[in-house]
Amino acid sequence: MASLKQIKGNIAAMKKSQAVTRAMEAVAAAKMRKSQQRALAGRAYARAAATVLARVSGTRDVHLHPLAMTNTAAPRGLYIVITSDKGLAGALNSAVLKGAVSDMAREGLSPKDVSVIAIGKKAHDYFASRGFTIMHHVSNTDMLSSEDTRTIIARAQERYMGGEYRFVKVAYQNFVSTFEQRPTLRGVFPLAIEELTKVVADIVPAKGADAESESVAPTTYTIEPSAEEVIGAIMPRLASVILYHALLESQASEHSARMVAMKSASDKAGEKQHELTLKFNKARQAAITREVSEIIGGMEAVAH
Amino acid sequence: MHVVIAKVDEVLYRGEAHSLTVPGVAGEMTILGHHEPVITTLKKGDVRVKATASADPQIIPIDGGVLEVNASSATVIL
Repeated sequence: MASLKQIKGNIAAMKKSQAVTRAMEAVAAAKMRKSQQRALAGRAYARAAATVLARVSGTRDVHLHPLAMTNTAAPRGLYIVITSDKGLAGALNSAVLKGAVSDMAREGLSPKDVSVIAIGKKAHDYFASRGFTIMHHVSNTDMLSSEDTRTIIARAQERYMGGEYRFVKVAYQNFVSTFEQRPTLRGVFPLAIEELTKVVADIVPAKGADAESESVAPTTYTIEPSAEEVIGAIMPRLASVILYHALLESQASEHSARMVAMKSASDKAGEKQHELTLKFNKARQAAITREVSEIIGGMEAVAH
Repeated sequence: MHVVIAKVDEVLYRGEAHSLTVPGVAGEMTILGHHEPVITTLKKGDVRVKATASADPQIIPIDGGVLEVNASSATVIL
């Protein structure tokens, strides 16, 4: 049986771990709220961009833009994979990585046919050690801004327009609720209007305090300088909306997954503490009993 | 006229405005209420929003963007 001192030490250690996991839980909860607020701030833009595209597409065929067409002949695929930098968040990252890899198998691509833009250290480590080409790597912090996503999109767009890739996809963890995140894969290029409407619909709530009223679109617009120019300007912006929101979703997911993981760690630490305290009391009682019987044994020996 | 000027992660202006001046690709243009519906690309320059006719304009520098105007609102996405 462990000594009293040892058990006491274990209880103290458990208390300390619980304090740490409690603190991490609180931090994750605060960060999660912040990510959600950032997602709300981006809604006006996503909605406006999608509206403009919808109105322009009424007048001219958007599907003929090079960013909307598939490079069927290109042998390679480009994946933008978003994971967290740090662990301690349950199965969050492995689910995204697994999703991306199984999609590569579906597309019939081997590691040498795939380039990866890794956002987050876990994605970088995973793909770099398996022989994939890492085209670009940034860490996934709360400081990532829309400028960063625009730079990434500009790179991807340039290569895509050059006919190097058949498609550009983004793999991330979609935030459903605090307790549920879903690994998600979305196409970025070729840009499809249906995909965009889905993204915007996810961002803009249909009703409630955050809903916005729909303005009625007039039928004819004067388009300057030309529909092609406007479509060319709006498409990369919409692509960066998709990426930016994937980033926010994955950050919200990361923080909530960590919050839940830390909560169960705190609970477990509390349980363990209780268990150890019981063990400590038992051991102490046993020691007292032993001492008493030794004293009585000694007295008996002296008396006879 | 309701004006929204937005970046992907930030709304720079949202509210009623008297006039909106933007650097269009074909030259600077000022939008007042009840302007004809127009969609145009913007070049690098300053966007100026006046809340009322006599107010000092709020100046927002941009690198480019798209402007959409209809009868009751104007939207600039950067």
